[in-house]
Amino acid sequence: MISTNSTGEPALRIENLDKYYGTFHALRGINLSVKRGEKIVVCGPSGSGKSTMIRCINRLEQHNGGRIEVLGTELNDDVGNIDEIRREVGMVFQHFNLFPHMTVLENCMISPMIVRKQPRAQAEATARLYLEKVRIPEQAMKYPSQLSGGQQQRVAIARALCMQPQIMLFDEPTSALDPEMVSEVLDVMVTLASEGMTMICVTHEMGFARRVADRMIFMDGGDIVEEASPDEFFTSSRNERTRQFLSQVLGH
Amino acid sequence: MEMVVVAPPAPGRLEDLRRRFFATPLQAVLSLACLAIMVFLVWKLLNWAVFSAVFTTSGGPEACQAAAGACWSVIAARWRIIFFGLYPYEEQWRSALACVAVVVMTVLSCIPAFWTGRRIALVWGAGTSLFYVLMKGGVLGLAHVGEEAWGGLALTLFIFVTTCLIGFPLAICLALLRRSELPWISRTTGLIIDGVRSLPLISILFTFAVVLPFALPQWLQGDKLYRVILGSALFFSAYQAEIVRGGMQGVATGQEEAAMALGMRYWQRVSRILLPQAMRNAMPATINQFVISFKETSLVVIVGFFEILASGNAAYGTGEWRFAYVEVYAFIAFIYFIFVFSLSRYGAFLERRMSVSER
Ligand SMILES: Nc1ncnc2c1ncn2[C@@H]1O[C@H](COP(=O)(O)OP(=O)(O)O)[C@@H](O)[C@H]1O
Ligand SMILES: [Mg+2]
Repeated sequence: MISTNSTGEPALRIENLDKYYGTFHALRGINLSVKRGEKIVVCGPSGSGKSTMIRCINRLEQHNGGRIEVLGTELNDDVGNIDEIRREVGMVFQHFNLFPHMTVLENCMISPMIVRKQPRAQAEATARLYLEKVRIPEQAMKYPSQLSGGQQQRVAIARALCMQPQIMLFDEPTSALDPEMVSEVLDVMVTLASEGMTMICVTHEMGFARRVADRMIFMDGGDIVEEASPDEFFTSSRNERTRQFLSQVLGH
Repeated sequence: MEMVVVAPPAPGRLEDLRRRFFATPLQAVLSLACLAIMVFLVWKLLNWAVFSAVFTTSGGPEACQAAAGACWSVIAARWRIIFFGLYPYEEQWRSALACVAVVVMTVLSCIPAFWTGRRIALVWGAGTSLFYVLMKGGVLGLAHVGEEAWGGLALTLFIFVTTCLIGFPLAICLALLRRSELPWISRTTGLIIDGVRSLPLISILFTFAVVLPFALPQWLQGDKLYRVILGSALFFSAYQAEIVRGGMQGVATGQEEAAMALGMRYWQRVSRILLPQAMRNAMPATINQFVISFKETSLVVIVGFFEILASGNAAYGTGEWRFAYVEVYAFIAFIYFIFVFSLSRYGAFLERRMSVSER
């Protein structure tokens, strides 16, 4: 369960997390602890609360009960804490959410410049470095609308990395992509994983999960139903719901 | 095997015309009839406006009235009133310079290179204070001219530009408040916006010009001109706020989330992510609103200001030129046209420029 490149101190600790949408109980007392450098893959049926959980981690959703501690800072109503955590936690969305009125380069530079107050030259150097890393340096001056879905998602990853975060969250980063573009995005994520980034990925790409996950999390009905190493998870899951889900995802 | 698909050849000019207007005999007859009517009307207009018109003041009003065509001498004789209203004769060069200052300021702030906070503030600060000093005088050896004597084109431009300068930021604030997460803020703002929109502009101007002085202490009143500008800015901002809000609704929620996830604060998100996209969505309606409020400046006449339309009335209203009102109105319409047409062309330019980065 604990991989070799994980070290002691936790990057993330979630205790008894509760989240309600109105009267709907979306997260039911979730507990999760993630070590630095650990890669977690979260899966589960639609509506099981995967997005809600990772969106609570950077406060895109406000939780109603329990504790979330990110890199030793507790997430509460303290705006300073929220800002600090958001600076250190990058997020990649299903629908990319690039800023359409900015070029690829500007997308990558804006936040380091106005949030981290980096000088323009430094921000640009960093942006070009990460665009190189996601293998689209030549698209820097284009607008997002001029790129393919796979390229846009790689820009979104580069944009998040430019803030030099310590934790990366991925919410179904390949679900909105045409099949032939999935692997170019996954390749970038694999590289990132191999460099020791702490990652929490919601994804149904089981091949990817097998390759990089230190731990698999299976959610259902707002709860974590199973937590296991990939080997265990894919071959000898004890849980009925998990096996059913796996047969659906891996099935055909 | 490779298929080569060739687009059908584009029809020539003549062929295109034939197809559009002369496809059947009946259509041909109708087309010719319309053409005849159009030629006739254009000829009549040109004849009146140019060929039979009088352009010099040499013959005086009598010779002018006797002519078959337009009497443009009224403009030659009275243009100063139209442009400067009741502004003192020897000082009218100041009013002219002030107009130039406002136009230059507007043109500069329309150029993308000036769209940084500091440059825009510089242009507007310099433009409005230059206008104010030139018009009002009392410093630098310029004779003092009170606001009640301002008039004509200078007054129209001043009211329009200040209405927009005050109204636009106000509109953005109102739009932001209206989408606040606190219900009492958003509801109150909604109430204000809808309240102002449900009143006619005339009644707002009247209230600010005539009623407000009874309600406010002396030191708060300011000159009537500035109260009227405030009223008109309030009216402008209520409509523009709804336009901006509409533009904001067109911005995907994911945009704001992405900005939050990148650590941006509220004002950073609003100024860098939300507003640039919202204003882009709102551009056509915004230009429309500008055009409307430019034309609505003529309503200030009811509270006693001689903006360009009222000055036009004065220009032909004095005895000898009384017959030449059509020419005066045509001339004023032409001035309005120049400004409004430039505005809408500029709007078209902005839309073209922005479409580059659209999806
Ligand atoms: N903003 C919201 N308002 C109300 N209900 C929501 C909202 N977001 C999600 N939900 C509900 O919460 C549950 C979990 O949603 P989500 O976390 O998006 O699931 P998943 O990402 O696993 O598909 C779903 O039943 C969904 O309908
Ligand atoms: Mg989801």
